[in-house]
Amino acid sequence: MADTGRVKIRIPSTIRAGEVIRVRSLVIHPMETARRDKQGNLIRRNYDFIHTVSVSYNGKQVMRGETTQAVSQNPIFAFPLKVDRPGKLTVTFLDTTGKSYEGTAEIKF
Amino acid sequence: MGLDKLSGNFSRRAFLRCAAAFFAVTTVAKSALFGAEAPGRAAASGFPLPDEKVEATLKRLFGNRPLHPGEGKLKLELPLIAEDGANVAVTVEAGLPMTPASHVGNIYIISDKNRRPLIARFLFTPEAGKAYIGTNIRLAATTDVRAVAEMNDGTLYAVSRHVRVTVGGCGDDVPQG
Repeated sequence: MADTGRVKIRIPSTIRAGEVIRVRSLVIHPMETARRDKQGNLIRRNYDFIHTVSVSYNGKQVMRGETTQAVSQNPIFAFPLKVDRPGKLTVTFLDTTGKSYEGTAEIKF
Repeated sequence: MGLDKLSGNFSRRAFLRCAAAFFAVTTVAKSALFGAEAPGRAAASGFPLPDEKVEATLKRLFGNRPLHPGEGKLKLELPLIAEDGANVAVTVEAGLPMTPASHVGNIYIISDKNRRPLIARFLFTPEAGKAYIGTNIRLAATTDVRAVAEMNDGTLYAVSRHVRVTVGGCGDDVPQG
């Protein structure tokens, strides 16, 4: 997929200081699984899925997710974030091929 | 007298025949189930772990710690019927405190019927302000989905919901042909 690794982050349009906001992030990723035939033998063996989602705010990690192939293609992750001062939100996705994809959003009041 | 003897003989013979047939069937079934499939999978699998029962997953993750019912503390939202198992929206929201002294450390999403039941695990810090996660998951078959919240002191709260899956969403099943 040409778009693999594109990250979109959506934050609420109005944010007040001290609020817990809901951030939605989306990454374009195939999240490929291994396929097996009826005897249980592998017929396709390219694991290419995101195994770690890391959310940091102003450089400090807030949340981390460890995911498996059982997460859908082009996964969405919605998570909370407590904002008491303006800053930069970074969401990093790591996949099994060693690539990492990053999306950022500025949080202002 | 003669009739009695005959029927006694007959039933004994029938019993033996039945027993023999049953024995044959069970041995065939056993070899089909354990002889052919299991070692084939284990040998060919390599990296992906073989099937794991959900009980084994829970034991591996939580040991013998009790899972407290989480109704009222943990909210798990899923569709009742998922038409496409490849993309099922799930949200887990914990109404539990998020202070440095007592907060939700981990949220696990587990599906009973997936080949590997553990779908994802999310680690929270008190800076998140709330323990909430929304994502899209794959479900292999009609199943119970569990959400488990682990507090920083190790207390576990679990809720589960039943989801009917119309078309399985895992890549394990091969397309026809």
